[in-house]
Amino acid sequence: MALEFEARDFHPRGMQIRDLHVIYQTNQGEIPAVNGVSMAIAPGKITGIIGESGSGKSTLAMALMNAVPKPGRIVKGSVVVDGAGDMLTIDKKIRQKVRGRDIGFVFQASQNSLNPLIRVGKQVLDLGRSHNIKDLRALLRRAKELLERMGMDAERILLSYQHELSGGMRQRVGIMLALVLEAQVVILDEPTTALDMISQASVLEIVRQIHQERHLTTILISHDMGVVADLADNVVVMYGGELAEAGSTEEILAHPLHPYTQGLIRAIPRISGPLDQAIALSGSPPDVAALKVPGCLFASRCPKRLPKCENSRPIYEAIGSDRYVACFRGTEHD
Amino acid sequence: MSVAESTPVSSKIPHVPKNRATFLHTAWRVIAKKPGRMVGLVIILFFTLMAIAGPYLYPRNLPINPNAIYAPISWKYPLGTDFEGTSNLALIVTGARYVLFAAFMAALFTVVIGTVLGLVSGYYVGWSDSVIMRITDFILTIPGFPLLVVLSTVWNFGQPVAMGFVLGITGWGGLARAVRSQTLSLRERGFIEAARTLGLSPFHILFKEILPNIASYIAMNLLLAITGSIYAEVGLFFLGVVPFQANNWGVMLNLAVFSAGAMSSVQALPYLLSPLIALLVLTLGVVLFLDAVDELFNPRLKEA
Amino acid sequence: MIDVKNLVKVFTAKKGVLGHDAIEAVSHMSFSIPGGGALSLIGESGSGKTTVGRILAGLEVPTSGDIWIQRVNVMTLPPAERRTFLRQVQLIQQDPYQALNPARTIEQSLEDPLKVIARERGKNGAWIQSRVHEVLLRVGMDPGSVLNKYPHMLSGGQRQRIVIARALTVEPKVLVADEAVSMIDVSLRLGVLKLLKDLRQEFGISLFFITHDVASARYVGEDGQLFVIYKGQVVESGPTDEIISQPHHPYTQALLSAVPVLKGLEDPGPDRFIPLRGNDQEQVPDTACIYEPRCPFAQAKCQKERPVLQGAGHAYACHFPVVRRVVATMK
Repeated sequence: MALEFEARDFHPRGMQIRDLHVIYQTNQGEIPAVNGVSMAIAPGKITGIIGESGSGKSTLAMALMNAVPKPGRIVKGSVVVDGAGDMLTIDKKIRQKVRGRDIGFVFQASQNSLNPLIRVGKQVLDLGRSHNIKDLRALLRRAKELLERMGMDAERILLSYQHELSGGMRQRVGIMLALVLEAQVVILDEPTTALDMISQASVLEIVRQIHQERHLTTILISHDMGVVADLADNVVVMYGGELAEAGSTEEILAHPLHPYTQGLIRAIPRISGPLDQAIALSGSPPDVAALKVPGCLFASRCPKRLPKCENSRPIYEAIGSDRYVACFRGTEHD
Repeated sequence: MSVAESTPVSSKIPHVPKNRATFLHTAWRVIAKKPGRMVGLVIILFFTLMAIAGPYLYPRNLPINPNAIYAPISWKYPLGTDFEGTSNLALIVTGARYVLFAAFMAALFTVVIGTVLGLVSGYYVGWSDSVIMRITDFILTIPGFPLLVVLSTVWNFGQPVAMGFVLGITGWGGLARAVRSQTLSLRERGFIEAARTLGLSPFHILFKEILPNIASYIAMNLLLAITGSIYAEVGLFFLGVVPFQANNWGVMLNLAVFSAGAMSSVQALPYLLSPLIALLVLTLGVVLFLDAVDELFNPRLKEA
Repeated sequence: MIDVKNLVKVFTAKKGVLGHDAIEAVSHMSFSIPGGGALSLIGESGSGKTTVGRILAGLEVPTSGDIWIQRVNVMTLPPAERRTFLRQVQLIQQDPYQALNPARTIEQSLEDPLKVIARERGKNGAWIQSRVHEVLLRVGMDPGSVLNKYPHMLSGGQRQRIVIARALTVEPKVLVADEAVSMIDVSLRLGVLKLLKDLRQEFGISLFFITHDVASARYVGEDGQLFVIYKGQVVESGPTDEIISQPHHPYTQALLSAVPVLKGLEDPGPDRFIPLRGNDQEQVPDTACIYEPRCPFAQAKCQKERPVLQGAGHAYACHFPVVRRVVATMK
């Protein structure tokens, strides 16, 4: 371990998110992208956040780093990272240090998160310099270790440009960049979108192994229930900027309570069992106008809606230990 | 909504209103959005009107006034007078037609030739592309201005169409190259391949699939080509290498500088400044209006 | 129906002044799909599966081989006739964001091919209008709300439905779906898959389904064929359900292992393995098994001799075929 890193305890860190509100200012008015989200990210666990496009999950991810892009704006709430403080109120300089050193972020595989004009190795050095790391040799050594750990030819990768790497390799480089400063909380935003099945499985396997080895706290954001169900310990379901359901993965998969969660699970095609179990989720994700209805956001697509679902919005509340749901039918259905 | 299970299948065809007549409506909304665009539009309309109606406002031979040679600015002569005592305003107004018409023709030639050749050469990669691009390179290497000077010794530029044709024929090279490169990237896009598998004709693909996607670019080039051509022709007349046949802003500049000595004498200054200001205001109008063009032709920017 | 015999596609890339570098993207592939049937082609990116689809749709010309559609050999048709004839094969592309012209409304995009057909058959504008409505309703879209829209106003799933509707305007006999759902939200994928599956039965369309996801392939074509392709070569082929339950080739097993396991609902197969080594582009000598560099079960023979695809019905190209239980089972 490099000397300039202060002795850090390797107890996994958790995160507490309270009443987080993010709005987007558009020409159609203010859109609540994240609307009153509260949750605790369990230390040392993999938490999966699942939602469709437009559910606010990526905005939530950026809000956790206090890095919501314009025209978005965090209006309210707190994001407390154990040992680092509230990301929304700490000093800007400290916050920039926290990003990268305490919290690592892995961008979508389809996005070009790497600078196309700079070799990977140089980007590692740039990252180190921006965090005032003096022993850059040790940093490069750690980058190599990580790359080799992920089954890659580290020397070659560090000398490569982005376009010389395949999608799966780029994603591993992204994970390396997120972890090279010894971050203990890692946020992965759609890490396997645009990857084919085998690359996806190997990236997920790498995330799983590194998570265990380094006692990380991992947040996995995805639209793919399969990916979350395979990797995560806990699942949080987002819909229209709000939380719909949360619980342990086994619980959510085996006994989903929210009709939306039930729909998501049923919509996964499987490779075993009868085919007619798979049923398409009807309708489209709510659009801007639909977010302003007084009732439940899912009501228009819900096969189990009640008359009152149209008029008032159910409260997201605990119904057991670490089990939450926002539905009037609460525990009553299967 | 959009899901099979929830859509009632009706045998009747519901009437869907067409929205094609609303282009002018959309255009108006886009332009009215920013005051700068409105100013640009007003300026362009003002000069267009001047070009159309200008010559009818004055007698064929503009009155001269020997008592008011190089007269200063006054109510009677809002822009002063020239060496014969003719109102500068009348000269500007009657001269606008040649300047604008020639420039418009030049821009039209540039855009039509450049767009068609660029589209064809970008879509049919192969020998036709090579031939067209060699011609384009040849055109690009011809220095247009000196060519005009040479041509003017054998050709009479009394008709604005002739002037516009020569300016256009030497000016399309750059646009052709740009349209070609845009076409090259568009032809690989999914919707072009889809059009091919659907059995749509190359003519359809070029002019209905590709062209609308570069329409804003071409419209911008049309406007820029107009200003460019105005400068080129005014420059020719200013240099005096083209025989003076009609009233023209370039002729005014030439006479102001070389005959009236406007560079050294203050009294001829209005004579020099009036065509310059006309050019400046027109260019300003075009530049202000350009801002609206992109939004007008780009469907992505249109609101839902 | 469609019949393909010994399809080969070699791409040549200029390699400096010294000559050309030839890459065999598709190697001696044969298959047939009956009317209303389905064949799924499964493989990673770069396996050549997209090239096969583009050849069928007439966007690439094969180096050699024969393609029979409705008992006509496409390769012997003169180019102009081939163009019209291949209208019967429609391609659904991966990216619904690129497949629709951003500068044209949905109505314009759907009308274009219909105008061509109307001219051929002497139909009028009312016929075009009724066909536009018919295909839109068939893919589950409300004509009134989408006809005047531009593609950017629609979601990925809606766009893919429009693309399918556009393909239906020319009454195709073969649909080539190239990763047709991989860019759509998982929650909306099943709806599009169901549509493709239903079109097979309803119009007798042969579906050529290109994917990297075994589960989608099973959903649209459980009763059809499954071809597993690696670096342009078919390594295993046979009835879909048989291959999923009895995979013989290690690459097929890797693909099946890669399907996520739903914790709480499923137990992973006891032999499941996740290959960590990526798909590298290095050339394998002609004398070795193409999968040897990545195969966790490779033996000495695999480097010396390339296995050939053999077997009637269910065929595989492996020297040491072993059935491994890699598929997750329901709890």
